Amino acid sequence: MKRLLSIIFLVLVTFIAQAQFSGRNMAEYQFGKLPSDDGSAFSGLYNRGLVNYSYKEFNVGTTLELFQSEHKDRNYLELTQYHLSYKKNGLKLKLGNYYETIGRGLLLRSFEVPNAVLEDLSYRSRHYFHRDMRGFLTQYLSKNFSIKALYGSVLANTFPPVVSEKLRREDEVEAIYADYSWKKQTLGMSVMRLHQNSNEKYYGMASLTGIVSPTVSYYIEVAKNLNDHSVSNFSDEASYAIYANANFTFENVGLSAEYKKYNRFILGSGINEPPALVKEHTYRLLNRSTHVLQALNEEGYQLEAFITLANYSVLTLNHTLAINRFGKKFTYQEYFAEYAFSIQDKHDLKIFADYAEDPFKEEKNRISVGVNSDWKLNKGGFNVEYEFQQYKKSSRNVQNQLISIGYNFKSKFDISLLAEISNDPFLTEKSNETWFGGSLKYKFNSNHKLQLFAGQRRGGPACTAGVCYEVLDFEGVELRLTSRF
Amino acid sequence: MKYIVLIASFLIFTGANIHAQQVHNFTFNDIQNTPRSFNELKGEKLTLIDFWTSRCKPCKKAVPSLNKVSEKYKNRGVRVIGINCDGPRSISKVGPLSKSLQIQYPILLDINSELMNDLNLSAFPTLILVNTKGKVIWFHEGFVTGDEEIIFDEIEKRL
Repeated sequence: MKRLLSIIFLVLVTFIAQAQFSGRNMAEYQFGKLPSDDGSAFSGLYNRGLVNYSYKEFNVGTTLELFQSEHKDRNYLELTQYHLSYKKNGLKLKLGNYYETIGRGLLLRSFEVPNAVLEDLSYRSRHYFHRDMRGFLTQYLSKNFSIKALYGSVLANTFPPVVSEKLRREDEVEAIYADYSWKKQTLGMSVMRLHQNSNEKYYGMASLTGIVSPTVSYYIEVAKNLNDHSVSNFSDEASYAIYANANFTFENVGLSAEYKKYNRFILGSGINEPPALVKEHTYRLLNRSTHVLQALNEEGYQLEAFITLANYSVLTLNHTLAINRFGKKFTYQEYFAEYAFSIQDKHDLKIFADYAEDPFKEEKNRISVGVNSDWKLNKGGFNVEYEFQQYKKSSRNVQNQLISIGYNFKSKFDISLLAEISNDPFLTEKSNETWFGGSLKYKFNSNHKLQLFAGQRRGGPACTAGVCYEVLDFEGVELRLTSRF
Repeated sequence: MKYIVLIASFLIFTGANIHAQQVHNFTFNDIQNTPRSFNELKGEKLTLIDFWTSRCKPCKKAVPSLNKVSEKYKNRGVRVIGINCDGPRSISKVGPLSKSLQIQYPILLDINSELMNDLNLSAFPTLILVNTKGKVIWFHEGFVTGDEEIIFDEIEKRL
């Protein structure tokens, strides 16, 4: 046995000596509490480390996640990901954990939100925000043709690693996807089997995408449950999703038009992510006020235009409409305009205005405006941001405000203060609630970065990378160190 | 057995010849639905790769600077490639936005952030500079006022 281990070890070291070794680590220490929680503040350490070895066309890697606090039931140390992959020319093989999206995600979407850590109110344990697959993927890509087959259990990312792996990965998926391209038009087809507990369902998808002219392109995708109805049945009882997009560009103008119709199309514990067609705002008040897609029943469209003017100033216009029918008709609509421009070719300014009606949240006449300015100094810059929002909710006039002031010295050092004020009756019984926090970022070098946050952080819905989730309020201190090697 | 594992781990980590990360050839569709490979687009001397998304403010702020790099160094063996990592929710806007911003370098669509994950990158925008052997010789996260000079300095140092 020892001899065998020695031989394996020698072979391994020989390979390693030629191999490429890389990794990254994120460690985050928190001391604090949820402001709404009666319990006392506690400290917690979350760490996620990835290590990868590459040798020629092979890559092997693993991810170790850890959470430690004074509450033993929330703690864990788990190898949450591992993979072996091989890539050569058009061939790709993956074994273990991987991310994969079929088409535009009507059937299947896995993702990673970089550097986002999730905490759930019921578990109060912290874990990385991603939804991966564990199984295998094989793909072959040629100039005009591609095919992939996959099998995997999908991670239900609301459960932290303290929950059993069986419960975290209840959905099992097998899928095959193929596409063929001809004269810049691509036809794609997919069949997927979803297995959850004793339920088994089959889904089909077809997509067509292409370029009509150098200035016009399109994308159409239709997906359907193949079990309970005929392929041509798109009645209210059927389970289906339709997504279409057309793009137009004219010199300095770009226009994107999208349409959606989703009916009973939440697959498994949520393994798919049909495009929401609601703008994912970078402005914090607007990002929090988002409409979360209801794939059980939603129809609508989104139009967005980008107009680039002199000196890279950009005007962005967006209109969104989403209709849900749950016994009663709910119509979400939003109009957004932003103008980003430079002064003297060095100071950047952005101003925006937004109007929305959100019957789901009972927000009427929601008006939001704001300004964001980056003022360049000798080797750094000042950033000032102000956002204001007002709407009617339960016959009360609600106002939210946000102000942020920051200074950065190149990319080396960044300090900022953020204050938020709200009189939303769903958040506070007082006339006004305030949140005040400050953050400091310091980059030791290109591989090591330190971030410190102290104060209060306002929670609520947030959308990043097309995925919406709930951020918990926080009050305390948070220190994060990210490293690459 | 425990000692063997410990010694093996020690030797593996200390004995490993840690090279810079390497970019292997990759192929993604561009915004004109045409497959384009790294080998086809890379520069003779250096390639600057920008990982970005349409929803990221600093990514858009970086575009004029990257256009300047593309224009200034195109005859000196330097190429710029944009790898867009928008997911299904916003990928439809990448084409119109790129055209409107008049991005002068090729934009490839990596909807699964596959290349980014292969290189262990985790922020937008991330800029990497790759040499003729495909090795990552410089890495930079984020884009703030003043970063344009850093990019020019790094390229000049290596030309």
